[in-house]
Amino acid sequence: MSSSQALFPFTSIVGQEDMKRALLLNIIDPGIGGVLIRGEKGTAKSTAVRSLVQILPEREVMKNCIFRCEYARPEKACSSCNERLASGEEIDSINVPMVVVELPLSATEDRVAGTLDIEYALKTGKKRFEPGILAQANGNILYIDEVNLLDDHLVDLLLDSAAMGVNYVEREGVSFSHPSRFILIGTMNPEEGDLRPQLLDRFGLSVDVEGEADIEDKIEIIKRRLTFDRDPERYVNDCQPDMNALRKKIAHAKNIINQIALDDDAINIVVKLTTHFGITGHRADITLMKAARANAALEGRIEVTLEDLRIVSALVLSHRMKRRPFEGLCLDADELEKCLQVG
Amino acid sequence: MFTGGLDIVSSYPFSAIYGSEEAKNALLCALINPSIRSVLIVGPSGTAKTILSRSVSGYLSGRRVINIPLNVTEEQLFGGLDFQATLESGIIKEMPGLLGRSDGNIVYIDDANLIDSRLLTSLLDAIFKGEIILEREGISSRRPCSTLLIATMNLEEAELNDCVMDRFDLCAHMTSHDEHDAREEILRRNMLFYRNPLNFKEHYSNEDTNIVGRINRARQLLPHILLDDEALQLITELCAEAGAEGHRAGITMAHASIALAALDERGEVNLRDVENAAKICLSHRWNSDLTTPPINDQGDDHRDLEYVKGNEDSNNDNPEGDNSPNHEIEFEPDLDNPKTDPIDDILFEIGATFEVIDYLSNHNIRKITRSRKGKRSLVESDDSSGRYVRPRVPGGTPRDVAFDATIRAAAPYQTRRDRNGLMIVIEEQDIREKVRERRCGYTILFLVDASGSLGVRRRMAAVKGAVFSMLQDSYVQRDHIGLMAFRRDSAEMILPPTRSAEYAYQRLDDLPTGGKTPLATALITASEFMNIYSRAHPGEKCSIVLVTDGRANVPMSEGSDANEEVLKIAENITTPRVKWVVIDTESGRVKLGNASRLADKLGADIFLLDELSADNISKGIRSALECM
Repeated sequence: MSSSQALFPFTSIVGQEDMKRALLLNIIDPGIGGVLIRGEKGTAKSTAVRSLVQILPEREVMKNCIFRCEYARPEKACSSCNERLASGEEIDSINVPMVVVELPLSATEDRVAGTLDIEYALKTGKKRFEPGILAQANGNILYIDEVNLLDDHLVDLLLDSAAMGVNYVEREGVSFSHPSRFILIGTMNPEEGDLRPQLLDRFGLSVDVEGEADIEDKIEIIKRRLTFDRDPERYVNDCQPDMNALRKKIAHAKNIINQIALDDDAINIVVKLTTHFGITGHRADITLMKAARANAALEGRIEVTLEDLRIVSALVLSHRMKRRPFEGLCLDADELEKCLQVG
Repeated sequence: MFTGGLDIVSSYPFSAIYGSEEAKNALLCALINPSIRSVLIVGPSGTAKTILSRSVSGYLSGRRVINIPLNVTEEQLFGGLDFQATLESGIIKEMPGLLGRSDGNIVYIDDANLIDSRLLTSLLDAIFKGEIILEREGISSRRPCSTLLIATMNLEEAELNDCVMDRFDLCAHMTSHDEHDAREEILRRNMLFYRNPLNFKEHYSNEDTNIVGRINRARQLLPHILLDDEALQLITELCAEAGAEGHRAGITMAHASIALAALDERGEVNLRDVENAAKICLSHRWNSDLTTPPINDQGDDHRDLEYVKGNEDSNNDNPEGDNSPNHEIEFEPDLDNPKTDPIDDILFEIGATFEVIDYLSNHNIRKITRSRKGKRSLVESDDSSGRYVRPRVPGGTPRDVAFDATIRAAAPYQTRRDRNGLMIVIEEQDIREKVRERRCGYTILFLVDASGSLGVRRRMAAVKGAVFSMLQDSYVQRDHIGLMAFRRDSAEMILPPTRSAEYAYQRLDDLPTGGKTPLATALITASEFMNIYSRAHPGEKCSIVLVTDGRANVPMSEGSDANEEVLKIAENITTPRVKWVVIDTESGRVKLGNASRLADKLGADIFLLDELSADNISKGIRSALECM
């Protein structure tokens, strides 16, 4: 994404703590599986997602690889990296910033998945794969605004990639695959329709955002926005210390998350929660545990506490509750507390 | 050449997957016995279907697992012309498809219910025959294809129709393990794997090695396994009981029984093998017209085998010590047959609501597939949206050029054309265009009579129940649902077509009843709305479902007879792209039959609310739509 236009700083967004936390947790552990943000228009959903780019960490990737394969995991690398490695080449690493890649609703299938490079074929008579959005998204954030309005066949593509971490292209004369691991972030206005159940389940976390109700907060929002609009560059500059601090916090969390040991009490409570709320399938259990760990790391701890589980429960469970679409999505706070009692 | 492998690499070890014996058995049978060529794994999301399928790749099976992406095109799957090679040599060269390249290995489809069904049928056909026959783009060829197909499918979305289901040799179910201890263990294993995959794999490598040993021994034993008449008899009986048509079920069951005996390193098939084979061979072949399968919701590990008849000793053979009373068959209510529906009578009260909730939370594959089949039809898209399925020769000016097919069409002629320095010269007759398909959506506008004449509470509850059933159906099917009500002196759009079942439900719930019946106004308002809507949404199948007793009492022009007026308007309404369905809510001894006259004028199908349960109404509408 171009950064020529200044973005409203992430750290300057008033309130929306759940949304901000859900985004941060995913940056710390991309294995959580993304965030679905539900809410009406004008609740800073898109602003928050787009502004992530200012605080995203750098990634260490293979040099000269168009898919920017992760340097530390050669076993997950693309075929050309594999060939280079197999031929004995020592690939250097390079640090690149993580970015937000947007998938517009109007995107066509060939642009999303990639396709035959027509120009190359006509010029040379040879086949070549032209990478699409799923290639750009590898190692980055894939953002879909109004994800509930995305065409079904594009959703299918995403489901495939999200499940495998690989984009398999087998069409228009090309047969190709490349790594495509991304943090899926979707925003939607629930009034415009529900999300397909299979896609809903793919999102690790979900948050419902509402406009800030507090008058003082509302005033603060307007004030900040006005200051920003008057001189965006200066405003962003003024926020640099906050953003640097947050960047450091994320980096620290990423460093320590692997030191968190598996904790039987935490496992017990996670299962109590998912059993109590009648969640089928095991994805919720795993996501809950990952999210709790990421939350502990974000707070600079290397053990998971009840507080971590309390904070992430609603994020993980609310969209996975029994599929009774007419009852709304909410988690009973009292019931949650009961499950959080140890023993 | 610049290509990437389509192979799926195993990561999570087969033996580390908790429980799931049924699915594991199915996969092992297929790995042991080459006569078994396709396995379908069914289950809700998050039950390790994909993980299990991937785990057979490489070490476990000694074969590659090649992924078939959902958006695969025909020539990529089955083969077509290789333009690069054709250009270089000047003669037509074939490019083998993904299937041809996977001979001797395994192909895998995730979410098989979402792939183009024509493609899936051809794929199953080629796999069954063991041969790919190609007749296209100037190529005529036959290639061997001894490939195993593993497919998974989620129950939450579209389903496969029965004929496609039957083509799968085996079908296994995976369920979520809801017991606390099992859940803890699954979570623990997953987190250990997540933190350190290499250590984790190392930990399970012995067990995986054991399984590989068992598979190899079983393969050698396979030709020597005895299948005696008693076992054969049981197989035939079970197939007959299941109403499984044709011989495919019986043959597959024999193959699976033999594989299971070999896996156990026994010289002959015992009744237990047949029982286990029945679980994976018959579940997808039950004929609902004959009977419904006995189902135990406890999960696959304890699925009772009470339907195994003719063997009084089977309880003794059963190591799980199943103490259930004699071989009684427990029938689930048959949704296709209203006579056996036990909730029929209470539906008009609060039953409709109850039925829907019960239905939604039920993850029972057999019930769902049998009662709601083949809905998500695909239609050809007439703009450039949708999935590119195949190229064709354009009828007029091509709008959406299929470059790949065009280049392939042009390739063979290049040596004879004056290329003027270009690599490829394309002439008009080479041009191909893309045929795109998109899932066809339904938009259903419910036009509900909320007047006093319908005000009998019992009626309104039933009406709401019917609409409700459609709403929950639309949640799964992604239909658009709109709600318009008419009462007092106007028709009011309560909810414009939306995919949000949640909102539709709220509005329906709040819909008040009472006042007069401005039916004529309602007809005009609704048809005007839907005419505009259907023009704006050309891909959608649109319909208006009019729920009324047909007794109008508010004429549009003063002094005229309201009912006469309605009929006249109904006759003159033109809604070219909209299908009408009338649901007659008239009750009581004296019936005026207004609704049926109205339906006649509208050219609509009519259903009597009296005769139909809420569930049957929604199905009736659906089947009427299917016939459009």
